[in-house]
Amino acid sequence: MSDWITFALPKGRIMQDSMELFGRIGITCPEMNEKGTRKLVFENPQQKFRFMAVRATDVPTYVEYGCADLGVVGKDTLLEQGKDLYEPLDLKFGYCRMVVAEPKALRGEDDPSNWSHIRVATKYPNITERYFAAKGIQVELIKLYGSIELAPLVGLAERIVDLVSTGGTLKANNMVEVETIAEITTRLIVNRAGLKTKHRRISRIIADLEAVIADEVRISP
Amino acid sequence: MTTDATTPEALLPKGVKDFLPNRAAKVEFLQKTLLELFHRWGFRPVLPPSLENLDVLEQGLGGGLREKTFRFDDRQSGRLVAFPPDITPQVARIVATRMQNLPLPLRLCYSGRVLRHTEQQAGKDREIFQAGVELIGLPNAEADAEMIAMAVEALQDLGTPEFTIDIGQVEFFRGIMNDLDLDQATLAALRDAIGRKDTSGLRQLLEPLAVSDRQKEELLALPRLFGGREVLERADRVVHTPSARRALSNLADVLQVLETYQVDPYVTFDLGEIRGLDYHTGITFQGFLPGLGRAVCSGGRYDNLTARYGRPLAATGFTFNLLNLLFALDKELQLPAARTTDVLLFQQGDNKRRAQQLARALRRQGYSAARDNYPRGLEETLAYAGKMDFHYVMIIGSEQDSVKLVRVADGHERQISIDEIEAGNLQLDPHRS
Repeated sequence: MSDWITFALPKGRIMQDSMELFGRIGITCPEMNEKGTRKLVFENPQQKFRFMAVRATDVPTYVEYGCADLGVVGKDTLLEQGKDLYEPLDLKFGYCRMVVAEPKALRGEDDPSNWSHIRVATKYPNITERYFAAKGIQVELIKLYGSIELAPLVGLAERIVDLVSTGGTLKANNMVEVETIAEITTRLIVNRAGLKTKHRRISRIIADLEAVIADEVRISP
Repeated sequence: MTTDATTPEALLPKGVKDFLPNRAAKVEFLQKTLLELFHRWGFRPVLPPSLENLDVLEQGLGGGLREKTFRFDDRQSGRLVAFPPDITPQVARIVATRMQNLPLPLRLCYSGRVLRHTEQQAGKDREIFQAGVELIGLPNAEADAEMIAMAVEALQDLGTPEFTIDIGQVEFFRGIMNDLDLDQATLAALRDAIGRKDTSGLRQLLEPLAVSDRQKEELLALPRLFGGREVLERADRVVHTPSARRALSNLADVLQVLETYQVDPYVTFDLGEIRGLDYHTGITFQGFLPGLGRAVCSGGRYDNLTARYGRPLAATGFTFNLLNLLFALDKELQLPAARTTDVLLFQQGDNKRRAQQLARALRRQGYSAARDNYPRGLEETLAYAGKMDFHYVMIIGSEQDSVKLVRVADGHERQISIDEIEAGNLQLDPHRS
């Protein structure tokens, strides 16, 4: 089995985008197109590829432990988890930004350079802590798992750190961006042992993907 | 779910574990196989202590290990003491301070346990079993190749079906980086991107920098310089910095020795590998098995380490992580590591003298034998023998001149005369059915 290549892909939109991209370098998985399937592992025995559908935040873990050789995951997850992985390629899709935001009402009289102690709600406590620590600002972190925009509305925190793509959600909740922490795109990640023990197949995949990506910028904005 | 304070998990701190006989036998087998190999290459054992003075130990620790050290107060001296997180600095201390009068080179090996703090919730071990070697006093490529060849042979001896020893050369990277005139923060960012093989990030970082196109090309090549020996040729075409080119020619020299030892098919190269940068000074390498994310062994040259204890010496070495090996080779080790016992001796009645005499005779002939001096009947003894991996049960009954021997695997029975056993004519062949 060790000449197989295993991918860990996040369920949903990114998985579709990834398979579309892989299809353009000849990596396919007909089994995945079966209607109504609830499988989590798909195989293409001719090409010796296996695909695992996992939660986005679990992708780095599967790849770090070597259950998957390759993975596709957002840079936000990588920054947050800080795992020991290779990330040789920016796949250029899933573009968004990680920002600090606050209610419009607060923004008026607020000056970020005067912040010294703030309360922030976020799905990304590590990134948030690092970002503010580098600026010498103390933060009280409130870790949430979703609907971050709600926190300032109900007084849980004054500010949030979250991903925005179009800014629609912020706007709808009367919030504005204050600062951009990072630009986020989807990355190809590789397990360290996999890269060494299967370097021929993996180098080939990286080189082929690089050639395809160079031709265009963003699949889904 | 109940959270009872007396559940086995709660008995031990996180990251350490008990090894019950089956797994303990495998660890013992790994240690024995590796030490035998080390001896075959002329390495002699050293046994450093498991407590050190923190200030002395820290002189020899790389930055990454310093925060991972378990430390506490020594009530006897009032000093801070520590459990070593790595054995190599201990060997460096021993070589520099205790072995000055011995001629070089020194070939030393060890097998022991170290403790390291790890991140929580990652399922990682805090106690690490190491077995490794240090080769002190040889600055040449043959010494580096010796380490790599030994690591390959060790993995072969252990029956590893597939593996690669991945070779790096930190001076290659250092040569390219030292050639750049940039501030520390930028260099750290470049180093980080190269370590993650993040070509896209690296390109972004380089774009606004005032470095020559040749240097940009060299840096951008680093994350992709991994693979078979063709990597050395690719690097040769891209890289012009003189110190990096010296590192390349060192790699070519090492490869030549590896060819002679016939281990070159098991190696790969990665010139963008910069792990252990603050410790190593030349060749580095790590052993990988497919499907296991962590390296099973790692090593390399560290010419600056013994100088921290007052005696500058060239040095190279490597260590195996036995628990990573155990995890990766669990199935392969099942048979070779199996600890079975040849004979269980059963005698009913109050007088057990004959069973004791026969047990002694068997042990003197080199068989392993245990007495079943437990109050129970024959049926239960046979079941016990099966569970505890005995090959035979010897039943000492009412006959004066013979005993019954039952093969546990299939229940096959035969009667054997005691004279035969005492004359050393007993033939036990547990694997024939």
